Amino acid sequence: MELLDPTVEQPRQSIEFVARPASLKGKRIALIENTKFNSDKLLERIGDILKAEQGVSEWKVFHKHNAGVPAHKEIIDEVKAGYDLVVAGVGD
Amino acid sequence: MASLTSKRHKVEDLDATEFCFQQGWTDGLPVVPPTEDRVWAMLKAANLKPEDQVGYIENRAVAVNAEKVALNAVMAGCRPEYMKVVVAAVEGICDPRWSYHGPGTSTGGAAVLMIVNGPVTRELDINAGDNLFGPGWRANATIGRAVRLVMRNVAGSMPGLLDRGTLGHPGKISYVIAEKETGSPWTPLHVERGFKKEQSTVTVLAAQGPHQVYNQLSNTAEGVLGTIADDMRISGGIMGQPEYVVCLAGEHTKTIAASGWTKADIRKFLFEHTQSSHEHLKRTERMSGAIQAGDDKKMRPLVAKPEDILVVAAGGKAGAFSCYIPGWGSKRSSQAVTKEVK
Repeated sequence: MELLDPTVEQPRQSIEFVARPASLKGKRIALIENTKFNSDKLLERIGDILKAEQGVSEWKVFHKHNAGVPAHKEIIDEVKAGYDLVVAGVGD
Repeated sequence: MASLTSKRHKVEDLDATEFCFQQGWTDGLPVVPPTEDRVWAMLKAANLKPEDQVGYIENRAVAVNAEKVALNAVMAGCRPEYMKVVVAAVEGICDPRWSYHGPGTSTGGAAVLMIVNGPVTRELDINAGDNLFGPGWRANATIGRAVRLVMRNVAGSMPGLLDRGTLGHPGKISYVIAEKETGSPWTPLHVERGFKKEQSTVTVLAAQGPHQVYNQLSNTAEGVLGTIADDMRISGGIMGQPEYVVCLAGEHTKTIAASGWTKADIRKFLFEHTQSSHEHLKRTERMSGAIQAGDDKKMRPLVAKPEDILVVAAGGKAGAFSCYIPGWGSKRSSQAVTKEVK
């Protein structure tokens, strides 16, 4: 008997990472918040610590529409235009 | 003639079912071995070509084609004529409004509740009566199972990997009901959602399990619905869920209809009688923060508006039971979607 395979092979996609910065001094940080309870508070705290201890110049929290979707286009556009690094955590 | 492009596996006849288990293709129950002739029969019954795209799940970057839906429908035990219903349901869960990745993955453990309306329910004998959520009807058992196998084998919703339900529930095996339209005093769900009575549809909702409510005392709509509302008010997780389905079965349907109530009246009553005070929600630690003066008078509705309660006439004729089904997540995370069965 010959059976057909019900699964799919996902197309492989390679992603290139940019080099990690040697220092965070003067960098602008985007914090991506996933709408889960307290995730905004956690990211705000991370932003404050990065500013006080690592010398980042500014940070801003961006809010996704919900936890199950990627960051929407407006977030991506603003982050690309005005920020050097992203912290994207999954609060839950 | 187009050909099927899925990878082929040669197996001994007697080992075919076991082979499917070994490949990790099943939901834990034996499946019908997916052979080429069975897959073609499924595709032909729905007038589909193997390469036809049924849906695209953006957040998973997964295209679901008719060949894979047919393959999984074969394995689930569907008759070929069920394929069109499976296709409509898969279209529904691929719709951006259903937003697959959240309800398909969440620890909240939602299943895909499928409510079928229209002539197809009679044509395919999809159960709308006795033992509504229970076993005994091939269409109900296999259509939902086919959708779940597509989720597992095509969309990657493998339990423990990309299906992280903490508890899940038995509806994740199959969760298909039909609305009992013949003899119902009310407008069918699909007509309320913009379709014609003669059309057939599937409404998909990310949903928890059914919660049964008993009331054999009341002979008024207020009495029966008051009991259901009291049960619903504290249900569904943190402070409610974005949508609810209420299935009203035979005896309750008669009682409520005898009071002259429409589905809109039912929704309005349930909306008004399922609100909880902020004081209660804070005291029971569903809502954050300390209790403030006036919180006992400040009311929070279970859902945002009455239309978020989907009322369905279904279930056996005998017995003073109905049920409600909480949805999942938030309106921005997932919402009920209705697709036509073509």
